[in-house]
Amino acid sequence: MISVRNLTKRFGEFVAVDRVEFEVEAGEVMGFLGPNGAGKTTTLRILTGYLPATSGTVLVNGKDVLRESLQVRRLLGYLPEQVPLYLDMRVEEYLRFRGLLKGIPRKEIQRRVGEAVESCGLVPMTRRIVGQLSKGYRQRVGLADALVSRPKILILDEPTGGLDPHQRKEVLELIKQLAEQHTILLSSHVLAEVETISDRVMIIQQGKLLTIGRPHELADQLQEAPRIQLEVRCDETRAETVIRGTLGEQLEAIEFETVSDEWIRVRLQTGGDEDFRAPINEAFVKEGLGVRELIRQAFTLEELFLRITAQSAQEAVR
Amino acid sequence: MRMLRQAMILLSREVESLFFSPITYGVLTLGLIFNGLSFYISLNDSGGNVGMAVRTFFGGSMLFWVVMVFLPPIFTMRLFAEERRSGTLEMLLTAPVAELEVVLSKFLAGLLFTLSLWLPSLLYVAIVKSYGAIPDLGSLFTSYLGVTLLASVFTAAGLFASSLTSNQLMAAALATVFNLLLYVIPALSLFTENEVVERFFTELWIYRHFYDSFAKGLLDGGHVAFYVVLTSVFLFWTMRVLESQRWR
Repeated sequence: MISVRNLTKRFGEFVAVDRVEFEVEAGEVMGFLGPNGAGKTTTLRILTGYLPATSGTVLVNGKDVLRESLQVRRLLGYLPEQVPLYLDMRVEEYLRFRGLLKGIPRKEIQRRVGEAVESCGLVPMTRRIVGQLSKGYRQRVGLADALVSRPKILILDEPTGGLDPHQRKEVLELIKQLAEQHTILLSSHVLAEVETISDRVMIIQQGKLLTIGRPHELADQLQEAPRIQLEVRCDETRAETVIRGTLGEQLEAIEFETVSDEWIRVRLQTGGDEDFRAPINEAFVKEGLGVRELIRQAFTLEELFLRITAQSAQEAVR
Repeated sequence: MRMLRQAMILLSREVESLFFSPITYGVLTLGLIFNGLSFYISLNDSGGNVGMAVRTFFGGSMLFWVVMVFLPPIFTMRLFAEERRSGTLEMLLTAPVAELEVVLSKFLAGLLFTLSLWLPSLLYVAIVKSYGAIPDLGSLFTSYLGVTLLASVFTAAGLFASSLTSNQLMAAALATVFNLLLYVIPALSLFTENEVVERFFTELWIYRHFYDSFAKGLLDGGHVAFYVVLTSVFLFWTMRVLESQRWR
């Protein structure tokens, strides 16, 4: 449905989007993740034909976004990040205007606006002036606008941005419902939100696409060796000697935390996939040291997201 | 058909938003005052010659040019600048509408309001008539046609100015500068001895094209073309600005 090839966008010297490639299949919900300023909005603006690419191609339903711009725009419903609306219009009036502009026939407009208003929970607000609505309701007006013409594809730039947790939940519910009839590409900088509603997720950092895949695959793919956490009854030096004696070169990182007078908590990171819980336990027991907790933890996708974005940010600084 | 339909939707939105803006009424009031004064002066100076009065009112009096040069920028200033400032330009340009439709509908909306400045002057015709003086209908018609063409040029210049900035005041100031330049450019001919250059500037003089033709009751294809071309140039530039904005 959307096919992006070798997409690059420069603003002068600054490379906002760097050789990005991805596909969004029909009917799919694609989450587009990245910290602020990573190039998400720029990419989406190129997809909607608002900005031209410096190089590379973007095809929507097989049509080039620049050369066949009008046909592409007819397929898209777009919710920009800041949700710019005509503040002086009433909600219903605004949606009518946008709907007609997008080519809905006059005899159908009433019904279509009604449907959009209904599905976005705007029914009590139709007579209100847009400028007097709260951020959450403006977001819904923007969404209603995006879907009033029943476009095949919805492109939503930070649809939950600036909303309170309750509103976020509602908007996400709404997007989940819309996913049944639309192909959706939505951006966010909060992974937890996107993870639950997306079929696939891609992560962008400093203009470069870091990874793309199904949320659980992504976790596997990005997974580093799990951490081990244990609580033992001894001091730090002793614990470190025992652990080093058991793991040797396999130990990659270790840190300590005092829990009480007797107990300390040890977190360690090993290389490889091997599970070292049993050997560690045996080593401590042999030394006559008490062990009261021994856990092997995998990273959550959120932690991974934070880690890789932080890593590549550091690399970029270097 | 589709294009026309969408242009109409855009046009009615623009007209509506100008109609509900308080500034519009301020400008219309000013126009009413200036044109009223201008009419009074024209009548006084003509010594009862209605044809003469019509000529003074349309282009002969300074107040005519004040209304033409200084008021349209206030109608046109917000047309693009406000969309740019509030970000709605992004919504407009990602909707399935061609730039040409956007530009034309905004231009027409601006033109409608600029022309509405001249609507009350039709009453003056009725007043003159009620005193038994019959103005020449031919020259009246060409005068109003001329006003329409002239207003098109100044509205298009204002629209172009508005497309360049996100600040309404800046857009109005810029448009006023454009309009003044269009009006005073022939003054440059005073600084040259070269006949060709002098001729060039005189030909560009928007005043001459109006006063020597439409105000006299003459309909000349060349003069009409002059205004139409000038208007098109400004509209074309506006489209280029919109397109180039995509390249920034």
